[in-house]
Amino acid sequence: MIHYHPDNNMLLEYASGSLSWAQSLAVSAHIHFCPQCAAQMKMLNNVGGNLLSASAPVASVEREDSAIFGDLMQRIEARENEEHEEPAAPAKAVRERTSRDPAFSAVPPVVKKLLAQNPVLKWRRLSKGLKEARLKTGQNELEVAFHRIAPGSKVAEHDHRGKEITLVLYGSFSDGEGVYSTGDFLVREPGQVHRPTATQDQECLCLSVVEAPVALTGLLGRMMNPFLSLKPQ
Amino acid sequence: MAVNYINRGSAAKVQASEKTRDDEWSNLLVRVGRDRDRVSFEQLFSHFAPLIRGFQFSRGGQSSAPEAADELIQEVMFRVWTKAPTFNPEKASASTWVFTIMRNCRIDALRRNSRQPVTDESLSVEDIWDDSQDEQPLVFLQQSRNQSAIAQGLQSLPPEQSHVIEKAYVEGKSHSEISEELGLPLGTVKSRVRLALKKLQSTLVR
Repeated sequence: MIHYHPDNNMLLEYASGSLSWAQSLAVSAHIHFCPQCAAQMKMLNNVGGNLLSASAPVASVEREDSAIFGDLMQRIEARENEEHEEPAAPAKAVRERTSRDPAFSAVPPVVKKLLAQNPVLKWRRLSKGLKEARLKTGQNELEVAFHRIAPGSKVAEHDHRGKEITLVLYGSFSDGEGVYSTGDFLVREPGQVHRPTATQDQECLCLSVVEAPVALTGLLGRMMNPFLSLKPQ
Repeated sequence: MAVNYINRGSAAKVQASEKTRDDEWSNLLVRVGRDRDRVSFEQLFSHFAPLIRGFQFSRGGQSSAPEAADELIQEVMFRVWTKAPTFNPEKASASTWVFTIMRNCRIDALRRNSRQPVTDESLSVEDIWDDSQDEQPLVFLQQSRNQSAIAQGLQSLPPEQSHVIEKAYVEGKSHSEISEELGLPLGTVKSRVRLALKKLQSTLVR
């Protein structure tokens, strides 16, 4: 049962296309787990459809619509001839060990695609019981990473340098404010300090999206500016 | 720039015919998907091209160049043709379905124009805005009833609420961009959006 969702504001930004790429990725993955948000998305898309059909029609200015249509049909025909010649190659299967890893066995399709783009995950130990693998998503303002917490491990108390979204993909963890399990979507504002603990019997896998300060994206910045600022225990 | 995109006066009259007309576009889309019917496709094009142009022009500013609108129309209708076989009239109305395609095209265009190069290894817009994922069993009121309930709900929103909704959808602005532009606190923009959605939601459960 999912208890934590993106709020209506975030869902609307996602539906209207103004939410950032990486945050949209996390929302998309949440919706895969969550029938309630999927239903809300239907309504939000419906709002867009209504605004489109209510928009004031504007006749062509530059070129006649019939000319645009002609170009379009040419493009469609060219494309269809191409397809006859060579059928598209089937998508490459996820090569990596993650395919046999139980934590990754039931991740949403968008996360599977992400794994296919990052065939080798470089896990880095952040603290006792906590590992991180950063992902390439084609965007720099936000960092996307997987975090895994070993069963029963307590993560050192930490702060985030930017707004952080966490989506639980497998297992569950808890902090002072609640217990979060698969599909739960959490937003932490910068400055909110917490200390997550994984459930005793199972490890926990999360997808995280963190706003990165724009000024510090160089190599030196990265070194001085780790994903999490851990406080000494 | 406070343009009202919804013609409030004629709303009630349009309401009754709107539903049947939307069914008509859905039927055409089904024919395009199933039979690859070009005549139906041309009818869809004649209907949606001026609407997409109107939607794009309402954004104002640099993006209202006629060439940009024509390019968007061609891209949207190209994808409509390609994706038509996946259109299911029980899940979405034709205009909602075309809206989601247009939104994705705009996201793509924004990414192409951004300073950050789109690398081959990045995900595609359809991976993230994956509208096939509402395949999961859900309990819905009849789709077309929803469509007209929301149309009515949109008409009845107070202007300050419909204004932010239009800015978000039509101009593609985030809450913080809207707050900057209107000189309103972010919290005010958020609460207007929430109130509007609450009202729209209430039209659905009646």
